[in-house]
Amino acid sequence: MTGFTPDLLNRCIACGFCLPACPTYALTKDETSSPRGRIDLMRALDEGTLPADDPRVREEASFCLGCRACETVCPAGVQYGDLLEEWRDQQWQGSGRPLVARLLMILVDARWRVRLLGLLRRHARTRGGRPEGPSLMLGCFERALFPKVSRAARRLFPELAAPAAQGCCGALHAHNGDSARGRRMAEELGRRLPGTIVTTSGGCAAHLSSVLGRDRVKELSRYAYERDMPGGAEPSRPAAETPPGGVPAETADRPRVALQDSCHLRNGLDVWREPRAMLERIGTYVELPSAGTCCGAAGTYALVRPRDSRRVLDAKLDEIEAAGVDYVAVVNPGCYRQLDQGLRRRKSRVRAVHLAELLAGERPRRREP
Amino acid sequence: MPAKTTATGEPLDAATLRELRAIVGAEHVRHADGDVTPYARDATPLFRARPGAVVHPASTEEVAAVLRLAGARGVPVVPRGAGSNLCSATVPLQGGIVLVLTRLDRILEISAEELLAVCQPGVTSAALADAAAAHGLLYAPDPGSRSVATIGGTVATCAGGLRGLKYGVTRNYVLGLEAVLGTGEVIRTGGRLWKDVAGYDLTRLLTGSEGTLGVITEVTLALLPAPETAGNGLAYFPTLADAGRAVTRVIAAGIVPATLEFLDARCVDAVEQHARLGLRRDAGALLIFGDDGEPAAVAQRLDRMAELCRDTGAIEVSVAGHAAESEALLAARRCTLPALSRLGSITILEDVGVPRPRIAEMVGHIEDIAQRHDVTIATFGHAGDGNLHPTCVIDKGDDAAGERAHDAFGEIFRTAMRLGGTITGEHGVGAAKLPYLTERLGAAQIDLQRRIKAAFDPAGILNPGKAGS
Ligand SMILES: Cc1cc2nc3c(=O)[nH]c(=O)nc-3n(C[C@H](O)[C@H](O)[C@H](O)COP(=O)(O)OP(=O)(O)OC[C@H]3O[C@@H](n4cnc5c(N)ncnc54)[C@H](O)[C@@H]3O)c2cc1C
Ligand code: SF4
Ligand code: SF4
Repeated sequence: MTGFTPDLLNRCIACGFCLPACPTYALTKDETSSPRGRIDLMRALDEGTLPADDPRVREEASFCLGCRACETVCPAGVQYGDLLEEWRDQQWQGSGRPLVARLLMILVDARWRVRLLGLLRRHARTRGGRPEGPSLMLGCFERALFPKVSRAARRLFPELAAPAAQGCCGALHAHNGDSARGRRMAEELGRRLPGTIVTTSGGCAAHLSSVLGRDRVKELSRYAYERDMPGGAEPSRPAAETPPGGVPAETADRPRVALQDSCHLRNGLDVWREPRAMLERIGTYVELPSAGTCCGAAGTYALVRPRDSRRVLDAKLDEIEAAGVDYVAVVNPGCYRQLDQGLRRRKSRVRAVHLAELLAGERPRRREP
Repeated sequence: MPAKTTATGEPLDAATLRELRAIVGAEHVRHADGDVTPYARDATPLFRARPGAVVHPASTEEVAAVLRLAGARGVPVVPRGAGSNLCSATVPLQGGIVLVLTRLDRILEISAEELLAVCQPGVTSAALADAAAAHGLLYAPDPGSRSVATIGGTVATCAGGLRGLKYGVTRNYVLGLEAVLGTGEVIRTGGRLWKDVAGYDLTRLLTGSEGTLGVITEVTLALLPAPETAGNGLAYFPTLADAGRAVTRVIAAGIVPATLEFLDARCVDAVEQHARLGLRRDAGALLIFGDDGEPAAVAQRLDRMAELCRDTGAIEVSVAGHAAESEALLAARRCTLPALSRLGSITILEDVGVPRPRIAEMVGHIEDIAQRHDVTIATFGHAGDGNLHPTCVIDKGDDAAGERAHDAFGEIFRTAMRLGGTITGEHGVGAAKLPYLTERLGAAQIDLQRRIKAAFDPAGILNPGKAGS
């Protein structure tokens, strides 16, 4: 008896339609590193035909990016993301969990430590305790790595409260084998920020929504959309004249901008038109052929499996450079770090920038090659 | 019907593994339990058997060396593309090596001048079609599984698809093959010529041979100029048999459209749950009709088909507004089988074919058989070419329902044959339909098939226990 929900596992009829969507299958062409193959491994665990300590089973639980691209293409409605959480809950106990993930989880587990993370980084913050209206989630890594993103978000939407003592949403735990703790952390954050929670991280948005419900949680581009178009108009509508947060509609120079989707935002919440529509307002939008596929950041993946992470990233960097863009916009801090580092390594002139920064009018200079 | 699980994958002996590693490189030979478990099955429910090893070759030479070794040791070899077949053709029921061709995934040439493509077997159907489209050309065969199925697999099963009526099936497009026989010899059949009658037509023989005669390592395919436009329409009918009658009338009126696909109410419901196109769920059946060619001619034929549907009692008829809408409709249709799994966790799909005028009659029989055996059968299919996919949906663990489904399908096969039809129109025989093959072909033909097999594969190592072997 293992911890898989039978209904989730039985859904897959092994049609293989998910194979072409999977980045690790594209790298290896090996069924065992495909979504269908991984579900088979889970089944074997469930049926007891493979032991929990089978080395390949362990390897695949870790090699999977968790990007959930397999989920959106699955006609049978298999919820792979949930299955993966259940799988890692079993495999990544104690010493089974990658060391980096363990350290990070300890780091963000207490509110004071999260606060400490951002203390010296001048991220956005407002005073007071429990805010009444909508508030900005600061994120645990974003506040440390990219404090400028929350500052930009506050400039765009001054109505957002940003108390520093809000903690971590628990996505890190949920994706690294402790989904129960991940849920509790999301619930706690929900109590501390009782109104609408706006986040600049697609990954956090998906996890928080799965616990608190979609109405409570808005990723930034979605929030901008709804604020701009009351009544929740669908973003396929042509861009309105007045951009959100009073950004000048016509800047003299309209940059060429591409987007890297956040996997969980796109595959988990179906939010992908919104950031594109926003970018069209400030520049010429260029769709990368692989905009919707994982950049290899994948939460802790880039730290746990740097070599595979780079293999996934490399093809994308080629594409970005070939696209002739000024910026590649991101909507998730993990993608930000991944693309920023990748582009720097290559000495590319293209800059990675968060959507919030671009909307707030920032135009970082192109790097000299 | 209990799961047909055999062998736990007798591991290959150390010497054989060592030699395999020397041929393809150590990282391309896997034999640990966890490595090979996902190769124990394909897209067919209930059949499972772990191979002794999984080998990923990267060239014709490597394939040949593996087959020579396997022949000498008497080890079974099961060629495999994407493993999307629906007749357990890639389940290694006798153990041995699963030889995966997905690393051979290069398109070698697309020639607009000669209207042909040359590619390796691991390229997917969709990738080849896209590459052809970029040159203004059409690769016509489009099985529902086109995004995943490999060219090698579609040739080895002679896959059909949604355009079969007007364009035929895979065999109509295979000009030449490179294949490695069971002996390790490499042969090249056919070639770039549209006319070539030198010798027996081994290209056709290998096409549809399900990996039992040779391993296909290169394929030359015929392309067509891409049609200017394509369009589709929808017609809802009270029953599937009504839709079947409309199909017969369309063809009798001298129209041979690209697409005539039908789905019963259960299928429509499942597809709509997945794709959310706004399909009507209250009708008994849906017919998708479509054609391609010059815009004016397409519009005219769509109108004519719409009219014929109305005359046959359609409840509602509409024509898709633009190409994207049309493509979304077909994409949704391709997902019918997996979408049906929303009704139950095991979907057993069949693939009978009948002469076209007998479609409505066959549909009636299927409904009757389902009722008598107390099983849920949803039916969809390529109505235009007489190919039906009655699909039984049961819950995992309901063995009694499995048995009833088994009996129902036995009766469906026999009914199809009585109407002058076949047990499989496009999915193949594999192990799943082997029990019915003698009934379909007769003893003399089965014997001949075995002798042919022995000539290609004297050691009997290639996909034993499948198709005619
Ligand atoms: C949802 C769904 C829809 C489908 N729709 C259709 C459809 O519309 N029409 C249709 O015809 N089929 C359809 N199929 C069935 C299946 O996709 C086809 O049979 C396809 O041709 C299999 O290709 P593959 O690469 O997956 O081959 P596999 O499943 O890997 O192999 C199929 C057979 O080919 C042999 N083989 C594979 N590669 C080689 C090679 N290089 N050399 C020699 N032998 C080889 C194998 O041994 C096996 O016998 C569908 C399947 C699914 C799951
Ligand atoms: S597409 Fe869905 S049902 Fe098909 S193999 Fe993948 S997960 Fe399973
Ligand atoms: S989550 Fe991403 S990497 Fe993992 S199986 Fe699905 S598509 Fe592949």
